[in-house]
Formats: sequence, C-alpha cells, structure tokens
Amino acid sequence: MADLIFYDKAAVKVSVGGTSEVLLASDCSVSFSSSVQPLYSIGKKGSLGQFPSAARVGEISFSFLTSMTGVHDGQPGNIINYLASGIKGSINSNASGALIQVAGLSGTGFLNSYSFNIASNSVSTSSASFTLFGSGEVANNENLNVPISGRLANSDFAPFSDKTRLATGIAHGRFTNLNDFRTELTGPTSNGTVFGADYSISFNHNPIYKVGQEFPTCTYYTTASEQMGVTEDIFSSGLSFSGINVNGAAGNVNLNVKGLIDNSAQMQIGMSGVKQINTSASVGLDDIIRTQKTLVAAY
Amino acid sequence: MLGRITREAESLTINGSGIQGIQSISANYASTAQFLNNLGVNDIKYAPQGPQQAVIDVNTMLTHTLSLSAPTLSTEMMYGFTGDFPFSGVVDHGSKKFIFTEGYMQSYSVNCAIGQIPTISTSSVIYGEFGTGDLTNLPTDSFPSQLNIPSYSSMEINLNEFTTNRVLSFNIDVATPRIPIYAVGLDVPTGVIAATPVEVNMSFDIEPDDYEIKNMRFVPEETVFRDTIITLKKNNSDITLLTYSFDDMLLTSESFQGDSNSNASINFNLRSFILR
Repeated sequence: MADLIFYDKAAVKVSVGGTSEVLLASDCSVSFSSSVQPLYSIGKKGSLGQFPSAARVGEISFSFLTSMTGVHDGQPGNIINYLASGIKGSINSNASGALIQVAGLSGTGFLNSYSFNIASNSVSTSSASFTLFGSGEVANNENLNVPISGRLANSDFAPFSDKTRLATGIAHGRFTNLNDFRTELTGPTSNGTVFGADYSISFNHNPIYKVGQEFPTCTYYTTASEQMGVTEDIFSSGLSFSGINVNGAAGNVNLNVKGLIDNSAQMQIGMSGVKQINTSASVGLDDIIRTQKTLVAAY
Repeated sequence: MLGRITREAESLTINGSGIQGIQSISANYASTAQFLNNLGVNDIKYAPQGPQQAVIDVNTMLTHTLSLSAPTLSTEMMYGFTGDFPFSGVVDHGSKKFIFTEGYMQSYSVNCAIGQIPTISTSSVIYGEFGTGDLTNLPTDSFPSQLNIPSYSSMEINLNEFTTNRVLSFNIDVATPRIPIYAVGLDVPTGVIAATPVEVNMSFDIEPDDYEIKNMRFVPEETVFRDTIITLKKNNSDITLLTYSFDDMLLTSESFQGDSNSNASINFNLRSFILR
C-alpha cells in the first residue's frame, strides 16, 4: 500500500521567479490528461486506433485563505496576487510560468484565473487555477519537462509560522474599506454602503507549438479581463451606453484589502480603466433590497 | 474563604432605569473565532468568522410600572422595547459589572396563573458592545418605576368564553424579529431592521363549562377571530396598570385534557400578526 498522505502534509507552494510562498490552501486538485482520439476510415469497421490530437496538459486549482502580509518584489499581498498583478501589467509578453508544488507533485503553470471575496465579518478566501503545458525546451539527454511530474509524497515545506495565535495576516472584512467602490448619488446626496465584493481576473494564454515536439516552445499571456461585483444598497439608474467611468476617465482605483488589525499592512490590487457596466437590484423575504454592480477592466 | 455574590448585590439597569422584580437574568456570548485550517497546517490560528453577538434574557415579576407621565407606550418598561428602538444597560454583580449596548428585544412573553403575580420573560440580542467598558451619555431616570403589583384576581379578559368558563392561566408571546445589516469595514451593524410582521400568540388554559371545541377544518362559520384585551389592574383595586390588546386573533389550536383526578381542561391558542 502506498503511503497515506494526510492533508497536513500536503501544503501548496507557489514559486514565481526568485520568490515563493507556501499558501494556506483549503483544497487543491491536480489533473493530467492526454487528448487521444479514435480514428476511423471508410472500408474499415473498427477504429484504426487511438491517436493523440493535442499535447498533454495539466490543470491545478486550489482555494486558499487570502494571506496579505507577504511582499513580493515590492508588491504587498500573497504570491498569487503578485503574479496576477505582474501578468496584467505585462500582457503579451513571453511568460515563464509559476512552479506549483503539492505533496510531491509539481509543474510549471500559467494562471487562468484568480479570484477572492470580501464580506463583512468574514475571512476572505481566494481561488486560483493554472494550466500546465510543460516545455519542449530540453537539453540533450534530458527528460522532457512534462506538465506534471513527481509522485505523491509528504510536502517538504510548510506555511510560514510566526507563532501568533490571531490570524492577523489574513484578509478580513473587519477593517477593509471599500468606500472607493461605493455608489454616490447627488441631488440629494446618497452614498452607498458596501456589504461585500467579489473580485476576479482571468487570463488568456497562447502556448506556441512547433512541429517536431509535443510541448510548446514558449507561452504568451495574451489578454486579461478583470471583474468586480460590489454589493451595496444603492441602485444607480444613470448607466450610460458606454458604461460609467469609475473614478474619472482613467478609471484608476486601488482595491486595498486589510486584515484583522487596522494598520498599514494591506494587499493591493491596482485596477485601471475601470468601467461600471451593470447594476441590478434584488430583494427576498426578510431582507433589504440589495444592489449589485459589476465593474470591469481589460488588459 | 471565597466570597459569593447574592441577589442583593446584583442589579440590571437599562437606559438609566433600574429594572425591578427580577427573578433571573442570564447573559451570554459565544466567540465567533474559528480555527483556520489549511493544507499543510503547522500552526493554530484563529480569526472571527461571522458577526459577534450576545444574548441577554431577563425574567421579572410584574411588581413595578412606570409613571403614567413617562414618555413610553407602555407602563411596563420591557414591553416598550418590542418596538424599533435599542437599549443599553449594565449588569452589576458584587463589585463587578458588564455593559451591553445596542440591545434589541427579540421575544417578550407574559404569563399569569391562579395564585401568581404576572411574570415577564424577555430575550434580547446585543449587536453592540458586551462585557467590559463604560456606558456614556446615560439618560437619567426621570420617571422611576413605582411599586404596583397586579393580581390574578383583579385582571380582566374581554373574551366571551370567560364569562361562563373558568380561566386558569394565560400566556402572551410576542416575537419581534430583527435583521442586522452588516457592511464591510465594520463589526457592528450599520442598521438593524425592525422586521415585520410581529407575531403574537396568546394561549389560555380554562376549565370549561359550555366551551365547545371548534371544527379543525377551515370552516368559514367556525373559523374564529377575536379581538383580545387583557387588562392588568392593581391588586385589590380598579386602577389599570397595563393593557395588552390585539385585534383579529385567529384561533389556531385547541387541546382537551381529561383526567381521573382533575377537572376537564382546555387549552386554546390565538395568533395574530402585526405589521409595522
């Protein structure tokens, strides 16, 4: 029987360039698949066989507590936030991917999506998913860099421990101020109260394959789309054909997420060119009317 | 020897007024801090998950009423908190105390039986502070309550059934739902909705003479609605202390009990909803 690996020995570590972080993951799933298709021909009853139609790819996704005390190359927040911020700031450039390790398995992945939520009186949780393409760039007599490699074993790393008992480094709704995202109406003045927010960003990437090798020679991030849903108590009917510029024409807004202590530590997401494209209201029994607006940005 | 704190050293003050006739009081909170678990866990850490609230339950005998000149809807102080407004207070016990703020009553009940003084039970949820701290801007007790003890022998119930059937006891339950609204960046509600409707249940135990159990089907001619008024008067007097009045109460249940050692008894319940 194989070694049984309990969750406390299955930490998730993400490395980007020269920096890494063991995340406080709450779940993680890994898959590895090959795209094999049967071929048929006229004059033959059965299939000719099953043949590969695309390169092998892997998928890794995980949820994690939104840690916000780390600083990676000057970017406050967890390493996924750092990675996402970096990618959207350098779209359409050659990317090297992030090394993801969990319980003996590892691979180099490209970020598909990253999201987190902020709600009152709650710990924030994030999720991220990666696609792993592998790499054909190998030297002579070396194995191919397959998308996912390794065998199940205890992780030889663990989350950073500062011996404190209160999770002050975890993003929380207690001191996070989202007033920059509230709806403000004039005549008469009415400012919204923000009850929660859901942030997400998704990336498109383009692996470049060449004849003669299975795995791509390189991968580019091509576009990124950012979205934020804000739940509040004001419905703005002033939505225009071209949407509403948030915070002026440039639409530059910082989403600052804080932890359990009202100090300067925060995770920051710089959003630019933000437009509001949607507003909605809904009500159910025994609750107030809550509104939700959707903010988007593209990179 | 270890000391003890007895009833004479305990008190409850709400909005600056001392609450009289208390039989029991309980107050509690449960921390919302939860252990944060994660893959590769190697550390025990806690963080609050969910809003922090407390509960205070008070049981009193109706021995005191507010002055008629007090600016309240009811001369029974706690009954006044079934409305929209919150209250703050302090519980003293010996040389210690704890405070609470932004208390909202969630349930109020009064019951009385033969040989008893009416008793009142309330349960309130605390959305503000609870525990250590000081109350500021306390109102002064401009209308201190006065000793006024009602009696079962001097109360009036307006239901026709009670002219020919003997009432043993009654119970009134008022449920006042609250909806706290929490915003990002705060640990106290930005507002507390006094939700609607308020549900009122009133039940009576009687020893019947000519009382007749109704048909349980929703038969139009036997579906009973009652305007119900219970008037509590000062013991051995005709001075009205307090009136509970509810309109259009629907008869929702009846039960019959026969026993070899006692008279037949019937319990019935009336229910109504009040829109705020």
